[in-house]
Amino acid sequence: MWQTLRAELHPHGLEVVTVALDTGGAEAARRWIDAAHPEHPALIDQAHQLDALLGIVNVPSGVWIDERGMIVRPPEPAFPQRPAFQNVDPDNPALIERYRDNPRGLEVVREVLKLRIEPEAYVAALRDWVANGAASRYALAPDEVVRRSRPRPPEVAEAAASFELGQHVYRLGDQAGAVGWFRRAHRLQPDNWTYKRQAWSFADPRQGPTELYEGDWLSDVRASGAENYYPPLDL
Amino acid sequence: MILDTLDLDDAEFARRTGWEIKPEGACRDDRCVPLPAMPDVAVGHVDVRVFAERLGMPLLHDEAHGLWSLGPEAGGRMLASAALPDIELPDLDGNLFALRVLRGQKVLLLAWASW
Repeated sequence: MWQTLRAELHPHGLEVVTVALDTGGAEAARRWIDAAHPEHPALIDQAHQLDALLGIVNVPSGVWIDERGMIVRPPEPAFPQRPAFQNVDPDNPALIERYRDNPRGLEVVREVLKLRIEPEAYVAALRDWVANGAASRYALAPDEVVRRSRPRPPEVAEAAASFELGQHVYRLGDQAGAVGWFRRAHRLQPDNWTYKRQAWSFADPRQGPTELYEGDWLSDVRASGAENYYPPLDL
Repeated sequence: MILDTLDLDDAEFARRTGWEIKPEGACRDDRCVPLPAMPDVAVGHVDVRVFAERLGMPLLHDEAHGLWSLGPEAGGRMLASAALPDIELPDLDGNLFALRVLRGQKVLLLAWASW
C-alpha cells in the first residue's frame, strides 16, 4: 500500500519501515508482505512491543523519526490513500445482494464507511516534512511530541502487562488461559483497539461476537462512535 | 516483560530491564531510584517485587504457568522523551533489523496488522 509513496519519497531521504503487530508472528503476516514485494524493511512485532513503547492503540499508525533518531510526530492514523473499501455505496443493490445471507456483514461494511480516514492531509504533510525537514510545520518539537503521546495511568500500564501475559500464554499453546488476561487488558484500556482486535481475531477472524469476549468489532465501534475509531489528525 | 522468577542477579536484571543496580539504587540514563533493603534475596540480586513497587510498575502473576509480567512504569506519558527507543525486530526470515541503522535518513514507521 505504501510502495508508490515510498518510491516517490525515498530518493528525497525518506525510508519506510513497516511493522506487523501480530501475535501470530511471521506466519500471520507473510501472505501480505509477500504480496507487497516491499523494497523497504518489513518487520514483525510478535510481542506487540510497539504498543507499549510508543503508545500505539490502533492500526494503521504512523510515527515520523528524523535523521537523528528523534520522533517528530508520535503515533497517529496513517493512510497513504483512500482505501478501496471506502468507495462503496452503502445502499448499492449489488452490495446488499452480496450480503443477503450475512446481514451482520453488511452492517460492518456500513460502519466501516463511517470511519474517519484522512489520507490526503496526511500524505501532503509527509511530503512537506520530507522536503523541508525540521522547518516543516508538521515536524513537532520534542516537548510537543511528548505532550501529544498518550498518557499512561496505572490502569494502562497494567493493561500492557496483562496483554503481554495473554500473548505469552497464547503462544505457549494455552489459548483458554490467555483469554482471561486479554479480557483484563480490554477492561483496563477499552480504547486500545490493537489489544481488542488481536484477541478477538483468535476467537473469530471476523471479530464478531463470541462467548469468550464481552465485545466485538461492530458493537464496540458503535458504542464508542465510528467517528472516534480513528481520531482526527492534528496537523 | 515476562519473567519466570522474581529473583534476578544484578547483571540479568540490567539486561532485562535496562536498569543498572548501583550503590545509589536502580539507575537508568540520568535517573537513579533508591531501593530499600531486600532481605528476601541474596547480595547482588534484585527482588523484582520491590523494584516494581518502587517504580510504580504493575507485576501480574500467572499461577498456572509460573510466570510474571512486569509492565511499564505508570504515570506520565507513553513517550518519556522524543528520542526513539532502541527498537530491534525481525523480518519474515527472522533476521533482526535495528532501526538505529537508519540514522541519517527520515523514517516513516508504520504499524499495521494482518487481523
